[in-house]
Amino acid sequence: MAYFGNNPQRGELQELYADLNDLNFEKKKEAVKKVIAYMTVGKDVSDLFQSVIKCLEFNDIEMKKLIYLYIVNYSRQKPDDAIMVIQNFRKDVRKSENPLVRALAIRTFGCLRVPKLNEYLIEPLKDCILDDDPYVRKTAVLCVPKVYEVSPDICPPLLELLQKLLEKESNALVLANLIQSMREIEVVSGKQIINLNQKIIQKLLLAVDECIEWGQIFILDYLATYNPQDSKQAEVIIERTLPRLSHINPTVTFCAVKVILKYLDFLDNGDLVKNLCKKVAPSLISLLSWNQPEVQYTILRNISLILQKFPILFENEVKVFFCSFNEPYYIKYEKLDIMVRICDSKNFGQVLNELLIYLNEADPHFVRKTIKSIGKIAITYDKAIDKAVSILVEFAKNVQQPTEPVQELLIQMQLIYKKNKSMYKHEDSLKIIYSIIDYANEPESKSACAWIVGEFGEFIPKSAEKMKEYIDNFQMEDRLVQLQLLTSAVQLYLKYPSQCSILIQQLITSAKDSFNPDVRDRTYIYWRLLSTDPEIVKTLVCFNSGAVQNFSKDLRLWETQDLVVALENMGSISNLFHKLPHQLYKNIKIKINNQQDVKIYKGEEKQEKQENQVQAQQSENQQNNKQEQQQQQQQQQDIDLLSFDDPPVNNISNNSNKPNLFELI
Amino acid sequence: MISSIVFINHKGEILIYRVYKDDITRSETTQFCAKIVATKENKECPIINIDGTSFIHITIKDIVVLATTKVNVNVAMTLQFLYQLVKVCRAYFGGEFDENCIKKHFVLIYEILDEVMDYGVPQIADADLLKKYIQEGGLKPELMNDVEKLKQLTSQATGATSWRPPNLVYRKNEVYLDVIESVNVLMSVKGTILKADVAGSIQVKCLLSGMPECKFGMNDKLLMQREPRKPGQTTTDKGITIDDLKFHQCVKLPKFDKERAITFIPPDGQFELMTYRITENINLPFKIMPVYNELGKNKLEIRVKIKSIFEKNLFATNLAIKIPVPKNTANVNTNSAIGKAKHEPDQQGVIWRIKKYPGDFEALLRCEIDLGQTTNQQPWIKPPISMEFQVPMFTASGLRVRFLRIYEKAGYKPTKWIRYITKAGEYLHRL
Repeated sequence: MAYFGNNPQRGELQELYADLNDLNFEKKKEAVKKVIAYMTVGKDVSDLFQSVIKCLEFNDIEMKKLIYLYIVNYSRQKPDDAIMVIQNFRKDVRKSENPLVRALAIRTFGCLRVPKLNEYLIEPLKDCILDDDPYVRKTAVLCVPKVYEVSPDICPPLLELLQKLLEKESNALVLANLIQSMREIEVVSGKQIINLNQKIIQKLLLAVDECIEWGQIFILDYLATYNPQDSKQAEVIIERTLPRLSHINPTVTFCAVKVILKYLDFLDNGDLVKNLCKKVAPSLISLLSWNQPEVQYTILRNISLILQKFPILFENEVKVFFCSFNEPYYIKYEKLDIMVRICDSKNFGQVLNELLIYLNEADPHFVRKTIKSIGKIAITYDKAIDKAVSILVEFAKNVQQPTEPVQELLIQMQLIYKKNKSMYKHEDSLKIIYSIIDYANEPESKSACAWIVGEFGEFIPKSAEKMKEYIDNFQMEDRLVQLQLLTSAVQLYLKYPSQCSILIQQLITSAKDSFNPDVRDRTYIYWRLLSTDPEIVKTLVCFNSGAVQNFSKDLRLWETQDLVVALENMGSISNLFHKLPHQLYKNIKIKINNQQDVKIYKGEEKQEKQENQVQAQQSENQQNNKQEQQQQQQQQQDIDLLSFDDPPVNNISNNSNKPNLFELI
Repeated sequence: MISSIVFINHKGEILIYRVYKDDITRSETTQFCAKIVATKENKECPIINIDGTSFIHITIKDIVVLATTKVNVNVAMTLQFLYQLVKVCRAYFGGEFDENCIKKHFVLIYEILDEVMDYGVPQIADADLLKKYIQEGGLKPELMNDVEKLKQLTSQATGATSWRPPNLVYRKNEVYLDVIESVNVLMSVKGTILKADVAGSIQVKCLLSGMPECKFGMNDKLLMQREPRKPGQTTTDKGITIDDLKFHQCVKLPKFDKERAITFIPPDGQFELMTYRITENINLPFKIMPVYNELGKNKLEIRVKIKSIFEKNLFATNLAIKIPVPKNTANVNTNSAIGKAKHEPDQQGVIWRIKKYPGDFEALLRCEIDLGQTTNQQPWIKPPISMEFQVPMFTASGLRVRFLRIYEKAGYKPTKWIRYITKAGEYLHRL
C-alpha cells in the first residue's frame, strides 16, 4: 500500500479524523499510518494531534512507535497537547517490564524538546540510567545530551550520574554510548565534562575489544583527542589499538590509524616508531581498495594530509594511487593530486609514464590537471624535465582545437622555459608550441604566449608580425595579457629596434590611456625609460633564468601546527574540505598547541639535498614574512587548499604579498 | 552528530524523512533535493556543503540515501553507516532496495531508523540482530509478554558476542568454507604489469550447535614461521606473504595481533570471516597479448591472444573478454578458433565469450573493424581491454587453508567442506 503523493484535502483530514476516532482497531492503525505518510511528504497534519495521541492506549508496539514519531515531529508546535502524553511515557518507563518499551519511551521522551516538559523527565531518566538492563542504559545515556541542549540548567545532577557511571559501568556498548553522549555535551557546553584517569582509560581500551563497530569508533575517536602523559602511556594505548587495524569495518581501521599516528609523537623509542609505521601502511593501503567509492574518497582526502606529516608511509607505494579507467572522476582527481605529492627524484619516471596515459582521458578538466601535474613535476625535479617536455610536446603535436588542456599546456610550457630556458631546443619544443600558439583563448595562456614571443623573439619566424597581431587587439585583452604584452613588446623592441619602433609607438598610444592604473603605470615607466636609457630597460625586462622560484612550496602548504590539529580530526568534515575545524565551524575554539616543532616522519634514504634545501629555504621564508604568508595562505585556503592551483608565477604583481622574482617592476 | 536521514528518489522527491536533531529544517533538505539530486550533481562528490549544512550521501541505483549534519562529524563513519543502513533494508526486503519497496515498507523503515540511530549517533545496526525485535507488522504478543526472553534478547544485543544467539541446536553439524579471490591487474600497452593484487575473501556458512570456538589456519608465512617444526616433517610450502588482513567482528583481534592466530565464535549461518590483500608472487591465470593496427582511414584491426597459465587439469569457466571498439564502428568481422565473439554496440566493444577454457592453452581472436563516417574529429580514446573469468580450485595468491579446528562442550565432530575459486576483478590491459 503506497500512501505517497496525495494531498490531504480538508475532506481527507476529516476522514482521517473520523478513522482515528473509530472504534475498530485496524481502522485506527491504518489511519495512523496514513498520517505518517502525509508527514513524510511534508504535509501539515498537526491538527490531528489529539486524536492521534488518543490511539496510544492500545498496547500495540508498531502503532506506538508511529505515534511517538508523530509526537516528536509536532511536540514543539503543540506543547500544551504534548503534556498529555507525559503520563504515558512515565508509565512506560516505570511500570513496563519490557526493556524494549522502557527504552523506546525514554528515547522518545528525550526528543520532545519542550523546555517545560523536561522537568518531568529528570526522575524517570535517572531511573533509566541506573536500570538493570544494559539496553535501557545505553539508550538513557544518550538521552542526557538531548535534555542538555534544551534545558542545561536542570542537568547538573544528570551529569554527575554520568561521571559515576563512567567509573563503574562494565558493559562495553553502554560505555561507548556514554563517551559519545558526554562528548556531545562537551560540544554544546564548550566545557570539559569527561574526567579521565588511568583506570577509565584502561576500561575504554578493554571496551574497544568488546563493543559493536560504531562503539569502537566513538572510543577511538575520543582517544585521538587525548594527550597521553608520557611515552609509556602512549605505548600502552598504541599497543591496545593495533589489533583494530585488522577490523573489517574501514572506519574502525581508519580511526585506529588516527590514534596510532597521533600517539607516535609521544614515543621516545625510534625503532618502535619505525615498526609501527610499517604496520600502519599496509592497512591504510587496503582501505584504498575498499569497494565503496565514497569511503575511498574520504580516505584519499585524508591521505593527502597524512602524507605531509608521514611521507614514510607511502614510500615506494606510488602505484596504489594509479587511476582505474572506470573510477569516478572525484576519485581520479584525488589520486592524481597524491601521486604528484609523493613523486620524488626516484620515481618520477614511473609517475610520468602513468600521467602520459591520462592525457588520453575524455574529461578535459582531468586532462588539464594532468598537464598541470606534469609541468609541476618538470619544474620540481631537474632530472624529470627532459621527459616531461617530451610528453608535453608529443601532446602538442596532436592539438587541433583550442581546448582547455591546450591552455594549460601553454601555461606549463612557459613555466618550464622560465625554469630552464635551454629547453626550447629539446625535441624542437619551441617550434611545436609556437605552431599551436593561436589556440590560446584564456588570459593566462595568452599571456604565456605573449611571454614566449617576447622571450624567444630571435628564434621565432616573424615574431614582430605576431606581436603586431597581438597589439592590434590590445584593447580587447584582459589586463593580465595587456601587462605581459607591454613587457614582451619592449623586450622584442630591444632585440629588433628598427623593425619594432612603429609597433612600440602604437602600443604606447593605445596603452597610455588605459583605464587600468597598473597598465597605465607600466606603460609610462617603459616609455620614460626607453626615451632616457634603453640599457636600463634591458636589465629590467630580460629574463634571468637563474632566479627560479621555489615551486615545491605548496607541497607543504599547511603550517605544521595546523597539520597536527588536522590529523587529530582525521575523517571529519573539515578535513574533507582541507580546512581546520574552527575555520568551518564558528563554535569550535582554536586549539592552541604548545608543541614547537612538529615531527615529520620520513624514510631514511629519502633525505635528499634538494628537499632539505627546499625546507631550509622555506623555514627562512616563514620567519621572514610569516604574517604575509599566513594571509596568503588564508586566501589560498579560501579557494581550495590543496589543489596546486595558481602557483604564484605569473609575472604580474597584482598581489603585493607575493614575492615576485621574475618581474622587477 | 547526524541531524537527519533522508531517502530521496532520482527526481528529488523525499521518500523517507527522519529527523534526529532539531538543528535542521525541511526546507534545507528540499533545497538539496532540488539543487543537487534533481540536477544529478550528486554524482560528482559524496559530500556537499550548503550554507553550513553538510550533505553526506550515497547513491544506490536511483535512490539517494542522505545524512545531514551541522557539526564536524566523522564522514567515513557516516558513509559507512549509510551503507550499513541500506544493507539492513535489503536484508528485510529480500535483497531489494528501490522506490517501490521503500514506499511499500515505509512503516518498517521508520521503525528501523528509530532503532539504528539515536540522537544522530549510530546504534545497533546488525540485520540479523534487528530482525529479532523489529518485524513487519509488529512483534508477536507472545514475545512482548515473555520478559525472560526479552531480557535474553537485550543482553545478547548489548553483550560481547552480540552476533550469536545462545542455545542453537543442529542435528548435523556442518561448516562450509569458500575461498574467493579476485585478481586485479593493470597491464601497460607493452604488457608490463603496472599493478597487480589479489583481493581475497573467506566466506563461511556455519551450521553448528552451541557456542563453538573455532581456530582457523592458512599457509600464512608469518604464522608458519612461528610454529615449531615437528621432527621428521619436511614441508616444501613455506607459506605466502599476506599484505593485510581484515576480520569479521567475531574474530579476537588482540589474539591475532599477538600470536597471529585466528580464533572466533562464529555467527550462525553465512558470514564473511575475513578479507585479505596480497601483492607478492601472484600467479596471474591469464596473459593477454593484443595487437592494434590501423589499416586505413576507416579500417582497424585488433588481434588478441590469450594464454592460460595454470595447470592442464584445471579449467577456467565463463570467460568474457571485452575488446573496446570506437563509437562509429559500422561492422566487425571476427575470427577465432574457440568461443564466440560478437560486436555489442551498447557495450561499445566486441565481447568474446568462451564457456570453458583449459589450462596452459593459447587462443587467438582477430577482429576487423570497419568504421562509419563521423563528424567527430576527436581521436578515439581507447579504453583498456577487460576480462572476466572464473577458475575453480585455483588461488592466484597460492593461499591454502590448513585447518579449521572446532571446540565445543558437546564434543561433536562437524563435517567440513572447502572450495577455492579465483575470479577476475579489474583485469585490464591497456590498448
